[in-house]
Amino acid sequence: MANKAIDLKFLRKMIHFPSTYQFLLPFLNLLHSKENQAYRVWVRFLLSTFRDAYAHQKPVVWINSFLPSELIYGLDAIPILPEIVSALVSYLGWSGRFLSRADTSISTDLCSFYRCALGLALEDFLPRPDLILSSSQLCDGANKFFNYLSRLYQCPHLLLDPPYSDHPRSHRYMEGQIEDFMDEATKILSLPLRIERFRLVLNRSNQARHWIKKINQLRQSIPSPFPGSEGLSYFSGMTFHSMGSPWALRFFPLLYAEIERKVFSKKGYLPEEKHRLLWLHHVRPYYKNEIFNILSSRGVALSFEEANYLYWPSLDPSKPWKSLADKILSNVWAGPIERRMRAIEEMRVAYSIDGAIHFSHWGCRQSCGGAAIIGDWLKEKGISYLILFGDCADPNNYSLGQTRTRLEAFIEMMG
Amino acid sequence: MNYYLTFKKILDDLKTKDPLCAKNQWVGWTCTYLPLEILEAAHLTPFRILPEATTEKADSYLDPNFCPFIKAALEKALSGGYSFLSGIIFLNTCDGMRRLFDAWRFYCKPTFSYLLDLPRVIDSHSITFFKEGLEDLIKQLEGHFRRKIIEDDLRMAVERSNKTRELLIKLFSLQGRGDPPFTHGEILDILSERWKVGRPLFNQALELFMNSIKLDQKIYPVGPKVMITGSLLDGSDLVRMIEELGGEVVASDLCTGQRILNIVNLDSDPLDSLSQAYLGKPPCGRMYDTQRRIDFLKQKLLECKAQGLIYFSLKFCDPYLYEAPAIEGALKEIGIPMLFIEGEYSGKPGGGIRTRVQAFLEVLRENG
Repeated sequence: MANKAIDLKFLRKMIHFPSTYQFLLPFLNLLHSKENQAYRVWVRFLLSTFRDAYAHQKPVVWINSFLPSELIYGLDAIPILPEIVSALVSYLGWSGRFLSRADTSISTDLCSFYRCALGLALEDFLPRPDLILSSSQLCDGANKFFNYLSRLYQCPHLLLDPPYSDHPRSHRYMEGQIEDFMDEATKILSLPLRIERFRLVLNRSNQARHWIKKINQLRQSIPSPFPGSEGLSYFSGMTFHSMGSPWALRFFPLLYAEIERKVFSKKGYLPEEKHRLLWLHHVRPYYKNEIFNILSSRGVALSFEEANYLYWPSLDPSKPWKSLADKILSNVWAGPIERRMRAIEEMRVAYSIDGAIHFSHWGCRQSCGGAAIIGDWLKEKGISYLILFGDCADPNNYSLGQTRTRLEAFIEMMG
Repeated sequence: MNYYLTFKKILDDLKTKDPLCAKNQWVGWTCTYLPLEILEAAHLTPFRILPEATTEKADSYLDPNFCPFIKAALEKALSGGYSFLSGIIFLNTCDGMRRLFDAWRFYCKPTFSYLLDLPRVIDSHSITFFKEGLEDLIKQLEGHFRRKIIEDDLRMAVERSNKTRELLIKLFSLQGRGDPPFTHGEILDILSERWKVGRPLFNQALELFMNSIKLDQKIYPVGPKVMITGSLLDGSDLVRMIEELGGEVVASDLCTGQRILNIVNLDSDPLDSLSQAYLGKPPCGRMYDTQRRIDFLKQKLLECKAQGLIYFSLKFCDPYLYEAPAIEGALKEIGIPMLFIEGEYSGKPGGGIRTRVQAFLEVLRENG
């Protein structure tokens, strides 16, 4: 017990020490082959972001996944996404301790990404925020959870509150909110509002968008050139975290080049592809699990994932607030479920999908609440469908036996 | 004397005598941020969706980790329990409510359904945005039900709803008087009848009831005074249990309690008045700014001299579950203890809750 406490203290100290990240960077070249250059850029991006955040040379702003990161890069601040940190912590197998810590404060029925983030905050593992900005879009927790964190850190919290309807009045209201939001944020952070910087950031975001579009087109190839399990990790992670940064312009072209090589050589990521699956929901379990191995071993390719569906239009750098309002309100997971269904239909056709798995992450009401409707509708189209209950960051909610049984039955049903 | 049964008898007598009662055109609603005055101005009768707690069928359509109220509502709709409704109006209240709106449309095929946007932030922009939403709702109602909502009718509807609020405020002020004392649980039971009948009938019954009971001015001390906060309760079972255990519930900051009593100040534009009044009412946990909730609760606790707060959250209700530790911490600073209860949307609270409430009341007694 005493050793564990010392380890934790040591780990906390190391994590808070900016030089730790500087020290880790050269080791990356040894860790991954040249083939996986995009992955290495992602790791470098994360290490650099955390190094800068702990060094606190620029203001640190915590945001959630559906708040456009362009707003933070436009401010020349450092965005930190606690949800992504939780996914990483879970990936490293460390989430248990932080979840247990959080469970002394909040209900275990809440989203494990937030529970883990709260545990990390209570144990003082995260870089201190100067400001917390969150968007209430898609997730009720993104309002009250971030508000609670702002009380813990005694820093201001601002909420962007996108309307449900995609109506012209909603766009006007959203644009006005962003304008007020940035005005307030610059005052809190004592930063100048430089519109020319936002133009630059939106241009970068558009370029990254261009590469995402090309990647998504390449991924329509048969056999599937890129595993969806990775699409749900560093690919979507970069889409949430890096849009508007120079890192996005390094990452996405490299990922494109890697996938393009596989497509040209007609190499799928599986030796033999019998079925093509669509993964529904933005997330997957990040701790060690057998889901993707079971699918791969039976020739079931995870060809695409809803998380990487490119839903927003190209941004107009001369109108940053309007463009970002349009981006937010074009989110197909917001609004009536028909929007999400239209997007799924587009993916089904484009990626020649014959089966879909809806991963129902415990604690996520917005996505799981639509799982049955989507299933009934997909089954009418002859698409095999499985709702897989589980948890993305809490391994205690994962049962290998049950998961295997459900997956095996599903694969059998697909024929 | 059973005050609730006395009221119920008056209401039932009026119902049998009212020839228009059977001709009501009902429209369902789910959230107290909906200005019912708009429906009433369209000569529609609002019917509150407050179903019995069963979820057998709904379990197949919504995940196990879903709000029990949402599931119970879908269950009743799937079983045809709301087939008498001419339409249903939802609000953008929470993730659960948005998904209920989808499931209701997908599986129950209502002839009219609408989801009204509800901002979380309250400022001049959001009030304007909410008002624009109300204008759109009016347009949709007029189109579907083929009737015009005129300003005079809207004004009259606001005046009638203010009358209800005034009567209810007066009713709550009678708590603790009489022998036996008129309890908060009984008042909530009387209030629950409001959602099943048209407003004119309820107002009339409530006036007759208050004229019929003669309560002396003396307030009889009962036991530790507690306030209850949360989203909604299925009936008054929890409140009555607290009262049975010797506690006195002095205020209910609930969507099925006193959160609906804000008077609408009629300005030149009734929609402006409604937008301001509804967004400005005592905040639900889903709204932004926990501090506003904390300030409201502190003020209310002080006003009603409550010694403790019982914080009730429905299971899987994210806004209330996330907010609870912040509220508890803020009340601790001023020496008010809080009991957090996470419960089902069901009738009688279980033994575990009873024991915890009992222990909480003991602590309050000891604190004096």
